[in-house]
Amino acid sequence: MTAIDLKDLTISYSSVPVVHGANFSVADGESFALVGESGSGKSTILKAISGLNDEWTGEIKLFGEKIDPKNRTDISRITQMVFQDPYGSLHPRKTVDTILNEPLAIHGIKDDGTRVLEMLSAVGLDKRYRFRYPHQMSGGQRQRVAIARALMIKPKLLLLDEPTSALDVSVQAEILNLLKKLRKEQNLTFLLVTHDLPVASFLCDRLAVMKGGEIVEIASREQMTKGELKAEYSNELLGVHAQKLGA
Amino acid sequence: MLAYFAKRIGMMVVTLFLIITLTFFLMHAIPGGPFTSEKMLAPEIEEALNAKYGLNDPLWVQYLNYLKGIITLDLGPSFKYPGIRVNDLILDGLPVTAKTGFLALLCVAALGIPLGILAALNQNKWQDTAVMMLATVGVAIPSYVVATVALYIFALQLNLVPTFGLDDWRGYILPVAALSGFWLSFIARLSRSSLLEVLGQDYIVTAKAKGLHPLSILFKHGLRNALIPIVTVLGPVVANLLTGSFVIEQIFALPGIGRHFVLSISNRDYTTIMGITIFYAAFLMVMILIVDILYMLLDPRIKLADRNK
Amino acid sequence: MNNLNQKIDPQQWAPAKVDAGEAEFIAAPSLTFWQDVRSRLWQNRPAMFSLAFIILLVAAAIFGPMISRHTYFDQDLKLSNIPPILQLYEVQNEGQAATYFFLNSGNFKLYETTEDGELKSILRAKRKDLINKRHIYEFGERRIFVDYSTLPARIVDADENAIDAYGTKWNKTYWFGTDSLGRDVLVRQLYGARISLTVAFIATLVNFFIGIFYGGVAGYFGGNVDNIMMRIVEVIATIPLTLYVILMMVVLQSGFISIIVAIGTVFWVDMARIVRGQMLTLKNQDYVDAAKTMGASTWHILTRHLLPNSIGPILVTLTLLIPSAIFIESFMSFIGLGVSVPMASWGTLTSEAVETLRSYPYQLFFPAAAISLTMFAFNFLGDGLRDALDPRLRK
Repeated sequence: MTAIDLKDLTISYSSVPVVHGANFSVADGESFALVGESGSGKSTILKAISGLNDEWTGEIKLFGEKIDPKNRTDISRITQMVFQDPYGSLHPRKTVDTILNEPLAIHGIKDDGTRVLEMLSAVGLDKRYRFRYPHQMSGGQRQRVAIARALMIKPKLLLLDEPTSALDVSVQAEILNLLKKLRKEQNLTFLLVTHDLPVASFLCDRLAVMKGGEIVEIASREQMTKGELKAEYSNELLGVHAQKLGA
Repeated sequence: MLAYFAKRIGMMVVTLFLIITLTFFLMHAIPGGPFTSEKMLAPEIEEALNAKYGLNDPLWVQYLNYLKGIITLDLGPSFKYPGIRVNDLILDGLPVTAKTGFLALLCVAALGIPLGILAALNQNKWQDTAVMMLATVGVAIPSYVVATVALYIFALQLNLVPTFGLDDWRGYILPVAALSGFWLSFIARLSRSSLLEVLGQDYIVTAKAKGLHPLSILFKHGLRNALIPIVTVLGPVVANLLTGSFVIEQIFALPGIGRHFVLSISNRDYTTIMGITIFYAAFLMVMILIVDILYMLLDPRIKLADRNK
Repeated sequence: MNNLNQKIDPQQWAPAKVDAGEAEFIAAPSLTFWQDVRSRLWQNRPAMFSLAFIILLVAAAIFGPMISRHTYFDQDLKLSNIPPILQLYEVQNEGQAATYFFLNSGNFKLYETTEDGELKSILRAKRKDLINKRHIYEFGERRIFVDYSTLPARIVDADENAIDAYGTKWNKTYWFGTDSLGRDVLVRQLYGARISLTVAFIATLVNFFIGIFYGGVAGYFGGNVDNIMMRIVEVIATIPLTLYVILMMVVLQSGFISIIVAIGTVFWVDMARIVRGQMLTLKNQDYVDAAKTMGASTWHILTRHLLPNSIGPILVTLTLLIPSAIFIESFMSFIGLGVSVPMASWGTLTSEAVETLRSYPYQLFFPAAAISLTMFAFNFLGDGLRDALDPRLRK
């Protein structure tokens, strides 16, 4: 069963096409990365899948069902998103408890607090954080809350938009480890967007390289780490990255 | 830029049209005509008068006639004083109102802006506190209160200025002061905060670091940008000076348009009320257009934005 | 300069110990957003005084007229134009209690009072000598002259000696004095407060609901909806509100209700603009997107996320719109378009006072002070709120 199935997906913002004819599939339980430079269209695909952008043509299927971008309730039961900016994605005036309860409230799931505590501990936060405000926590802690929030209604697919780019280097590793652990525990499917190749190789099985709104190449992790990427651009990307690491 | 211009003029015409229509129908919503009130007219005379003024025609005919009149710049006769045309009333009061208004505007701009700049440049020093205190007072007290209190103190008690009339230049002092008081304070505060915000920007710090002379920074960079929000607000300021003039002219017994207006209100002289309202509205919109042009000249971003379209 | 050659102990270059606890240390004590706002507002003295003043004013407006022994429409023409502070003179007649009176310098009449300052009645002159410009009063055996041949008028006795005043007392019958129709100024002031405040609050409430709703819809949906709605607002806003209100008042006829309707009809445009601006800024924040991906409905997002976050500017605008409304109402009343006689609005009180300005200036003082202080108070409060809500000023 494929989790995501994209066919000839062309996405536009205000009538300007940003992604052209994307095609790929992600299997259930797989972890897939979209890599590329800024502006290559990676986040746009995530927004289309999650229903945030409904200006697209082509086909998007989640777990075999075509999605209707107008019906966000249904989409949200299947997939949830973790955003890049931990400072912006949490409502500044709500406590962690309220933030975590919101998805439950929206979907009418009654809970006496057990689920909240469950998720808090799943993301490694002590229960004393339950009634704190976002500005009372560090970036890493906020991102953990964001992840907890995304998992509250037990989605099968998690969309991650550069989840660690805005964090300190030391904290990034913790969050990535957390994500890896959660994926195994809850058997989640990941679609991860990142410009950071090491992140992709750490967390994902396969990846697609994007440039200028088009998918240049789809490869597996091994191919990338062994330097066996076929497209010229992919190798450029890899080369640039190697340079950055001082290889 | 031309497109923007044309759009603005188009909006102006539409708005003016709406106002004329609104005013017209509002006035006609009031029961009874101008001749049915106090005077005990013989019915035939009343008929004749109504016929003469076209009051028996269906409403839309009257409306069209009125519009026709406006296009030819004729605002009709005053209902209270049928021999006088509204145009004449306006022209009669225009010199006084124009002079007072213009002087007030001058005060607001020529005093308000420099005071604001003074305060900004001396932030937190005594100049700043003094200007800000004066400005806060000026903004809180309504103009007609200032007018009446000033009248009492300076005219009646101290006899420094005449209590009414414009026989010499001294007669202008109190009205202009009362009229401009509020807006002067407002502009002073705005200038100060606007300049402070601009001066705190990075590009000013860069200019200083490059070694530019502070005065040059102030005039070439700081002021030009700081003036933008001030110019934006000038339109409404003129508008408010206008409405403020009603009451000032009343208190100081100045023979301006405002006085005619207030009089026509208490007399229920509908054509005059309509005519003066439309005159005011038209004048306002022209002023706002001028302000918009100034704004465009000051802020190059608007010109560029248009070009990219 | 010698220090440059000093060797630095390599030990000092050892990496610092990373204390995990410190890395997560938050600099300022944790306060919720509203606690922070409240404490900042509390520290703002002028704003706090203003708040106190407003509360007192509202209380006085509500309860004052109830406990006063005067109403706003009772007239006593004999006791008209009496000032609030009386300079009393004493006349001793043998074997009788002393009589006290004061001189009303505006009309050169004498009024009898108690020793304390309570008014008794107007006194009749025995004779009025218009040629020499004096009024002659008799108190038992004594004769008192009010000489107004030179101003200010003086009180002299039969020997042409000026009589010394007994003392200065507050007018106990009419604390603020009376107006030209003998009505109690204080009670009329308080009624004026009722009217001005009620008009202001209602107009502001109307503002609140219409303006917020309108601006919210325009800002949130953006695009064409926004365009059309804002065009309408622009057309309305081009003309000064005062002009609109004047027109409406002429049509609706003067009156309390009319002025509320008139103000409410056009006053909401400012609030609409502010709310729209807020919407435009906030709707692009990530947490709105997050709510959307959670499946939240538009209503939920508007009411639970966007509007609560806009409360700051909304509150500030509200507080600053109130003095505007008060001003418009009093302005209208001043030029004769607002509430009708004998109702007392601060505007009508001011216009009545202007008529008697020359002789009885105190009548202008009270409404002028009332309006000014009230508008001050709201302005300070609004400014204080704005400063308190501005996160950049957090220490």
